[in-house]
Amino acid sequence: MLSVKKNLFKVLSIIVFSLLCRFFLKLGSGKLIEQLSGKVTDEFLELLFRGMKLAFFLMKDYRKNLQNFSGRYFFNTSDGSVAASVVFQNGKMKVYGNEIPAWNIRITFKNAGALRRYLFSKDQDILNSILANEVEVTGNLNYIYKFGFMVRELMLKFGIN
Amino acid sequence: MALVTLKDISLKNQILTKRVQNLKTVYFRALPEVCIERPRLITRFCRENNLFGKERITGLEKAKLYRFVLEHRTPVVWHTKAYEKGMKPFTFRDNSLFAGATTSGFKGVPLYPEFMALSLWPELRLLKKRASNPYQIAEQDVDELNDEIFPYWIENNLTELARTRCFSENKTTCNRDKYAPEMALLERLVFFLASKENCISHTIPDFSKAVNNGLRSIIDDAARRKETSINDEQREFFDSISEVLEGIITYSGNIAVEAKKMAEKECDPEVKQELVEIAEIYSRVPEFPARSFREGLTTIWICWTAIHLENPNIGLSLGRLDQVLYDLYQHDIASGALTIENAIELISCLWLKIGDHVPMIPNAGEQLFGGTGSNQAITIGGIDIRGMDAVNDLTYVMLRATELMMLRDPNLNARYHPEINSKEYLRRLCEANINTGATPALHNDKAVIAALTSKGETVEQARDYGVIGCVEPGSNGRSYGHSGSILLNLPSVLELTLYNGRHRHTGMDLLISHETGNCSDFASFEDFRNAFAVQAKWLIGKAVDLNNILGKIHQDFYPTPILSALFEGPLDKKKDLVFGGAAINSSGVSIIGLADVVDSLSAIEQVVYKDKEVTFSELLEALKVDFSGYESLQKRLQNPEKTPKYGNENPHADRNVIWLIQMLDTTFGEKTNYRGGRYRVGYWSMTNHAGFGRLTGALPSGRKAGENFASGITPVSGATMYLTQALNSVAKLPVEFLSNGIALNLKYTPEAGDRKNMIDHFTSSVAGYFDSPAGTTPGGMEIQFNITTHDTFVDAVKHPEKYPELLVRVSGYTAYFKDLNPRMQKEIIDRTEYLLSNGNAVVFAPFPLTGGNKR
Repeated sequence: MLSVKKNLFKVLSIIVFSLLCRFFLKLGSGKLIEQLSGKVTDEFLELLFRGMKLAFFLMKDYRKNLQNFSGRYFFNTSDGSVAASVVFQNGKMKVYGNEIPAWNIRITFKNAGALRRYLFSKDQDILNSILANEVEVTGNLNYIYKFGFMVRELMLKFGIN
Repeated sequence: MALVTLKDISLKNQILTKRVQNLKTVYFRALPEVCIERPRLITRFCRENNLFGKERITGLEKAKLYRFVLEHRTPVVWHTKAYEKGMKPFTFRDNSLFAGATTSGFKGVPLYPEFMALSLWPELRLLKKRASNPYQIAEQDVDELNDEIFPYWIENNLTELARTRCFSENKTTCNRDKYAPEMALLERLVFFLASKENCISHTIPDFSKAVNNGLRSIIDDAARRKETSINDEQREFFDSISEVLEGIITYSGNIAVEAKKMAEKECDPEVKQELVEIAEIYSRVPEFPARSFREGLTTIWICWTAIHLENPNIGLSLGRLDQVLYDLYQHDIASGALTIENAIELISCLWLKIGDHVPMIPNAGEQLFGGTGSNQAITIGGIDIRGMDAVNDLTYVMLRATELMMLRDPNLNARYHPEINSKEYLRRLCEANINTGATPALHNDKAVIAALTSKGETVEQARDYGVIGCVEPGSNGRSYGHSGSILLNLPSVLELTLYNGRHRHTGMDLLISHETGNCSDFASFEDFRNAFAVQAKWLIGKAVDLNNILGKIHQDFYPTPILSALFEGPLDKKKDLVFGGAAINSSGVSIIGLADVVDSLSAIEQVVYKDKEVTFSELLEALKVDFSGYESLQKRLQNPEKTPKYGNENPHADRNVIWLIQMLDTTFGEKTNYRGGRYRVGYWSMTNHAGFGRLTGALPSGRKAGENFASGITPVSGATMYLTQALNSVAKLPVEFLSNGIALNLKYTPEAGDRKNMIDHFTSSVAGYFDSPAGTTPGGMEIQFNITTHDTFVDAVKHPEKYPELLVRVSGYTAYFKDLNPRMQKEIIDRTEYLLSNGNAVVFAPFPLTGGNKR
């Protein structure tokens, strides 16, 4: 009887903890969530990285994405006004406000809206991005596939399909 | 001895057995399921054997890998579960006469992380819910792919290995356009597609050795040849053959063991007996020669699953099964061991098995290529290597099974020789087309054999051709031709000519190719055509260079010992197919957008240079604004009575099309591939005429921006009002320039009332098309049909659930209309439709584009 109570308590704790993490994730990513479903600003990329970092911190299952994975990404706009890099290595994510050397992939986008459409595309948006030359990708495409998976996981955690 | 002994070649009294009906119902109910067994096993093997990061993987290493997978894969006897709409699981009774499966699922999506599987990564969690062609995938499989499989392939799939090779310096800091121009062109999507990123496949193995002699005999042969080898490379090659064939034998043996276990537990005596039979058969074949029709089919099936383990499921084709299996069939019928009903049941079960997988297509690809199956062609009829009539009873049995099953895969193709095969046979093929609405495609032996011999094949090799993938002819078990190596968007050549080396899609500031001059400065049409030829040569050069680069990557990392073991040539030449082991080593190209380019050339010639109605600058301006404000010019350009159009037997258009196909054939034919063979050109498009059309602006033919191109070698819809003219225009094209096959896609209105009349008209139209006009060319090469009313298609768009089995010919292969994306559905609805009774086109208003694919 005691062990049943103990197990029940353990399960409930896990559930509560998970719900709390999800709550804090949404709380900490409020602006990002707004921009995912509404108007996009130039802050979008920065908010996205912050949301990812928070998710890595709070959620063990999301953190698994960092296991066995190393990748160096450089994002910029075609006019050079926005530039940011992110490095995944040794189970960590680090963000830089400039171009890093030896990136695996460079994503050059027309504006924040173009980047959102590219990363969160449904149906025809990815083709439209290419048609409109909104996004240009240079380097190993497999890294953007992985990044796209992580971003979509984040969206699912926010409850956005 | 007469090969055709059937009293009624239609076999109309033969229907599907209850077993097949039930399995077919499940087949159409089931949705595809992603299977991760293959990527799991190969990743594990590569990790344990340190194959990641190597400079090269040998054929023997590859063979050991495939043997490992074959020996460890699940020996599925019968499936028990599948998923239906809404991803709801359902159980069913699988009592197929064949055990084994391409994947572990009833209708599986095999993944090839060495090639393009990683493109599915971003949408893994959403695959079940995607609007177009969703896939079932278990959540734990998503986790395993993300955590433990895909990461190992990030730097190790073919595209990345090739990209690395294209850079001679530091890949992260080089300017892409400068150091990898071929890859850059590919990534811009609008110039060409290079299929080797995804596969080679696209060939027909030689099953006769496996069926008649068994795999053990091939292993013994390899061992003997190894003893007389002169170096380690050759010895390793023969070892690789033995490895993979032992793996196949073990896999079959595992199925036999599993079937025996199931039989021991089974209470129903009938089911028990079926399992016992399966166990007996799989214990024997494919190791030893087949002794019965069923054993022969089983041999082919098990070898087929192994071939798909090694080679992606795109365009691999089964060849002339009515020839390979005829002796076994005839023997069993004569002895009474087999009836025609049994044979149809067996073939139907096999057809379902062959269709037990679909190609993996990411969501973005669904918009360009959605609805395609694996394009596994089967070829029946025609003549044999002696030039004699090869149509036999089994030809008709397979035709009847196909007619009853209405499956998109396998893709049935029928050969017909106008001077040797009977008219009754042709009539039966036409009748099958009317009954199914779309199959089989018809190939003229006289024309195809002439085309193949013009490229150096012997008459015997050419006579033994089968159809590969969509429509490409290749000698059975001898031609390793990667018939779909390059898909070239011909209108891009036109763009580069019109815009002096630039392309509207990539931006007028970016010089893509060479400058060939401003069109406004060209004094004559000849000047324009010469510039076009220069641009074509440039683009062809880039596409070929990339194909050869990718081919060398295949040589270094993806030898194909399984296919090599089942092919004529490699054991004699002592080398794998990828190194040129086949008897015939061509590479195949397909040109997309031919009719639109021909019509554009003709329009420029007529309107700018002959009539001088507009200057070139004015024409370019009209294209720039998509004819907005230039409506009367557009009408003029589109009017076949004022502007020559291909398909109307207009001498100017005919001259232009012949000039074009000759130029393309010559330019490609000068190139050598990485296996030492030559390039061959064909005109079939799958759904690429819609995809490329979407990326292309307005053209001088009067076509507006974003509209579909005409499919295959077919004239532009609406340009040709008379069936006879369309047929004659294509039939007179010199076949030596069409050696990689053509797809002439025609739509006929099914006639209500006199069915016999309809079949007669249909047969006459095909016979006329295949006939040799005045002995000049050997007649039209290929033709395929959609025979469904316009209203039915329109209703099928609105109510797809009412038409789950509505089969259509796209441009080469068959597909279910409901699976096509809106753009492709519109393209098929808008195709010119002809009344067979008088050959006139029926005019309908263009179908409005629906859904999210509007540009």
